[in-house]
Amino acid sequence: MKEELFISGRDIPNIDPFLHIWHWQIPIYLYLGGLAAGILFFAGIFTIMGKEKDMKTTVKWAPFLVPGALIIGLLMLFLDLKHQLFFWQLYTTIRLQSPMSWGAWVLMFITPLSLIWVATYLKEVFPQWSWKFHFLEKMELLAVKNRKGMAWVMITLAVILGIYTGILLSAFNARPLWNNSILGPLFLVSGLSTGAAVIMWMTKSHYERKMMSRIDLVLIIVELFFITHMIMGMLAGSSVQIAAADLFLGGQFTVSFWVFVIILGLVFPAVLEILELAGYKIPVAIPAILILFGGLVFRFIMVEAGQITRYLY
Amino acid sequence: MSEKAKKDYSKTYLNPYFGGVLLGIILILTFYITGRGLGASGAAKSTVVTTIQSVAPKYAEKSHYVSQFISDDNHPMNNWLVFEVIGVFAGAFLSGILYGRLKPKVEHSPRITSRKRLIVALIGGMLFGFGSQIARGCTSGAALSGMAVMSLGGFITMMGIFGSAYLFSWTFKKLWI
Amino acid sequence: MGPLIPNDIISADWNNAIALLIGICFGFVLEASGFSSSRKIMGTFFGYDFVVLRVFFTAAVTSMMGILYLDYFGWVNFGQLYIHPTYLMSAIIGGVIMGIGFALGGYCPGTSYCAIAIGKLDALVYSVGLFLGIYIFTFAYPLMESFYNNGFIGYVTAPEILGINANLFVFIVVIVALGMFIAATIIQRKVKKVEY
Repeated sequence: MKEELFISGRDIPNIDPFLHIWHWQIPIYLYLGGLAAGILFFAGIFTIMGKEKDMKTTVKWAPFLVPGALIIGLLMLFLDLKHQLFFWQLYTTIRLQSPMSWGAWVLMFITPLSLIWVATYLKEVFPQWSWKFHFLEKMELLAVKNRKGMAWVMITLAVILGIYTGILLSAFNARPLWNNSILGPLFLVSGLSTGAAVIMWMTKSHYERKMMSRIDLVLIIVELFFITHMIMGMLAGSSVQIAAADLFLGGQFTVSFWVFVIILGLVFPAVLEILELAGYKIPVAIPAILILFGGLVFRFIMVEAGQITRYLY
Repeated sequence: MSEKAKKDYSKTYLNPYFGGVLLGIILILTFYITGRGLGASGAAKSTVVTTIQSVAPKYAEKSHYVSQFISDDNHPMNNWLVFEVIGVFAGAFLSGILYGRLKPKVEHSPRITSRKRLIVALIGGMLFGFGSQIARGCTSGAALSGMAVMSLGGFITMMGIFGSAYLFSWTFKKLWI
Repeated sequence: MGPLIPNDIISADWNNAIALLIGICFGFVLEASGFSSSRKIMGTFFGYDFVVLRVFFTAAVTSMMGILYLDYFGWVNFGQLYIHPTYLMSAIIGGVIMGIGFALGGYCPGTSYCAIAIGKLDALVYSVGLFLGIYIFTFAYPLMESFYNNGFIGYVTAPEILGINANLFVFIVVIVALGMFIAATIIQRKVKKVEY
């Protein structure tokens, strides 16, 4: 008879529930979702304000990245599924109580919308582009005429998408690190900030760069505020929440959080942007890359750390 | 607000004594908080160890030298010096921006070409890297931090570096002036 | 009572985050003092710019005095500080080889990182050289292993070996440093100016 002796507290393999189930696919999806939400939000809002001429990259060129980002994000989600062949069942029902249902449907609407948005600008990139079929040409004319309407829908869906990436985590009430209501707005602001960083990097117009770097600076400061209050809220909570906050304050995620997310990902780019506003010349790639990298590391850390925090033991 | 007509600060430096005092204070703080000094060549060594480990893990385990720095529970890049060097890059970048010294160039004496300078820099780097492993430190790690705690090894290494550099720089005078 | 992390006053997990902050200050001061320019650094050896001498010895003296003062006030336990070990032959030979490398390359690793951060391509090539040099060392190590571990005197301080009081030692170093600064100023005035 084969016996195995366990001398331990809890977290016994094959006996206690296995908690670490979300791996690298989820943080990448959250990041790309936030990034897409950010870019679409800015594209929409500057169209509504009538500033397409001044903010060409924001409105026209940056959204070209969005369909690709959303599709890769959805692919990540698909790869993460256990029963991948049944993914289509998510789209046979609308469950208002389930964040995943909300997310599936928001993505279902925002992806084609972003494709249409990009399609209306295709003629500016490829002047010879023709839609082969006559009814497609008519649809394009219709879309171009209704850009403002599309923009309104786009910013609504973008905000919902950005917040949803946080709600997806904060809906887990058994994960004390995730179960706070500020995570949704935090991920929205982080997504907007990464979107602004991409636009800031891509643009060749001086006016646009200044505008987006100022917006990004504001977003970074707001994001720092949200992170501070998230940690403060956890420290003022029950003992499992204090233990969750301690992961970042002297625990195993201290270094990666403070070095890569806070200092290199938020504070240092903010300092560089302030110097830029004060008149010093800074190569724009550096703050942009740091912000983008910091956002990605932040998602990875949140997903990884959240699955370590628990109420049971 | 575009470029205002700014004074050119690119040749302005801190007063060396002031800079030395600041550096001394940083060293004191480092020792006070972490109990050890700074370093620089250690981060280069960690990078080499990590590269060897990812490209040729079997050689890394067999090699007497590299295997000392590989451990199962800690990635060799996850050490104090690597994070310090990342900070050095960031701090120097910031200072370069404030003084307007950010400019890609090859700095060389007018008596030699850029190409020669690059070749000589490569050879100099190789020698320095080799020597730093023998002496277990470089000017920042062994000499500066060693002298801060009056370590005998630190003094000897410092005198070795500066003495030998004085001798050999006159041999290679054409490279510099 | 310092040092803080070995005594667990700050959790050891903060160590690498603090390393980043210290590195930022270190890099900033190095670059602001001019250590990102190889021709400026080499000025010490030719007499036209003694910045290396001044900064280096001022930093050494300041930190020596500072640590001894902290130890005297009881704020730091000197015995817990890491003292660079003394391997006699390795220190001398390593130092000499590094000196040749310094004379050729014009940088040391720390200053080469500063120079890379402001865009100097020769510093980038220099650090590639550093990697290659270390790599070659890993190959040569089996031949050098006995020499490398030879002459281990211990984690000793210079005043211990010389048999004098640490405070007296620092005093002597300060006098020597002041003498060197005065000599440097005189020499710098006499030497022909170099444009860099």
